[in-house]
Amino acid sequence: MVSDIIRNLKKDLVIEFRTRVSFAISLAFAAISTIAISLVSGGAPFTDLVYSVLFWLILFFSAMNGLAHVFTREEEEGTSLFLMLNSGSDSIFLGKLVFNAVFFLILETVIAPLYLFFLQVVPASPGHFIAVAVAGGLAVSSSTTLLGAMVARAGGKGALFTIISFPVLLPVIWVSIAETAGSLSEGGAMSRGNVVFLLAFSALVVAISLVLFRAVWETE
Amino acid sequence: MMPMFIVLNILMTATIVLAFLWAPSAEILGHSSRIIYFHVPVAWVSVLSFAVSGIMSIVYLRDRNTKYKLIEEKAHASASIGLAFTVLTIISGSIWAKISWGSFWNWDPRERTIVVLLLIYIAYFILRAALGDSPEKRRISSAYLVFTMAVMPFFVFVIPRMYDTLHPDTIINTDRKIKLATEMRLVLLLGALSFTALYINLYRISVRIISLRKTIEEDDDE
Repeated sequence: MVSDIIRNLKKDLVIEFRTRVSFAISLAFAAISTIAISLVSGGAPFTDLVYSVLFWLILFFSAMNGLAHVFTREEEEGTSLFLMLNSGSDSIFLGKLVFNAVFFLILETVIAPLYLFFLQVVPASPGHFIAVAVAGGLAVSSSTTLLGAMVARAGGKGALFTIISFPVLLPVIWVSIAETAGSLSEGGAMSRGNVVFLLAFSALVVAISLVLFRAVWETE
Repeated sequence: MMPMFIVLNILMTATIVLAFLWAPSAEILGHSSRIIYFHVPVAWVSVLSFAVSGIMSIVYLRDRNTKYKLIEEKAHASASIGLAFTVLTIISGSIWAKISWGSFWNWDPRERTIVVLLLIYIAYFILRAALGDSPEKRRISSAYLVFTMAVMPFFVFVIPRMYDTLHPDTIINTDRKIKLATEMRLVLLLGALSFTALYINLYRISVRIISLRKTIEEDDDE
């Protein structure tokens, strides 16, 4: 099973590296949003909460452009049946999940410095900021992997992925925003409970997704 | 069908009469507190409908050639009723919020929870519609309901405890417990029963419509 997961992951990474479509779109979207906010605000200072809200909104909508692509690509290229014949559904799901987690973490690695630079934000506690970004990123990618498969099955229609992901991701976004605001302000202590919440949420949705994935992905 | 309809009529009439004429008004909130006998039961039914449709979806996913006929369609019917009750919860809650807190919407944790439930229902219906006549329609929309049902406890139990709430159970007293007079408690319970009966009636009517539609489709095929 592990070799199946690695093989699927490697295939997805190679295809993404070859075309770079989802990554380029997500990154371009994030860069445009960040620059647009910086330009329009004209360097006006916001509160830490507003900075945090903007950061997670940019991340959320950038991710929405790319996280479902790993499944919609299989449908568009007609390879989903072939994939299913070669790997078990658990291996497929876990491969895509790791791909999405890597994808989102790379996206964050690029977006966060851009965001900090253009909006002139200096986190009071960089370690805290990174911990929340990583935990939140894991929660977002874990929650959206199964939903990406559903959207692919529905023909990858327009904003469907955002519509079905948003209610599921709201607890993650709320907690991440609150915790990121804490990392930006002086004396904002890290709440371990919030980080544990994000990790527990990720674990729960991965467990449920593993159970449901077969029902979503198999064809009749 | 008829006895259930009679039960509903008796319960609903009793709830309305007792809520306005028998139950005392709350000390701080005054007569506006009487909305509790409608707002809380409506909110209860919106969650109940969601739970019923989620459980039916689990049954459908476990055994697709299920002995329970049309169970996925029944889950859809329950979700449709749930959507209507969620909208009613938001409207009744907003009216009460305006009277008690001065504005229709405050992003209180419980308000967030009900909005999330509304968004889940909307997303479910959009996903189901997007799947069209696809053979996977039933499986995928059921999987979405089960997935969101698994996440729901975070909204209902975790998030409201992470943020301060304006809802009465925490502002009326300091030990965070609901302290209602016995009459108020009884009418609230009666309200919950009445609206549950209303849900059962609506659900049974929906199931009859589904069965009739299925029969007509089968007759057309023959």
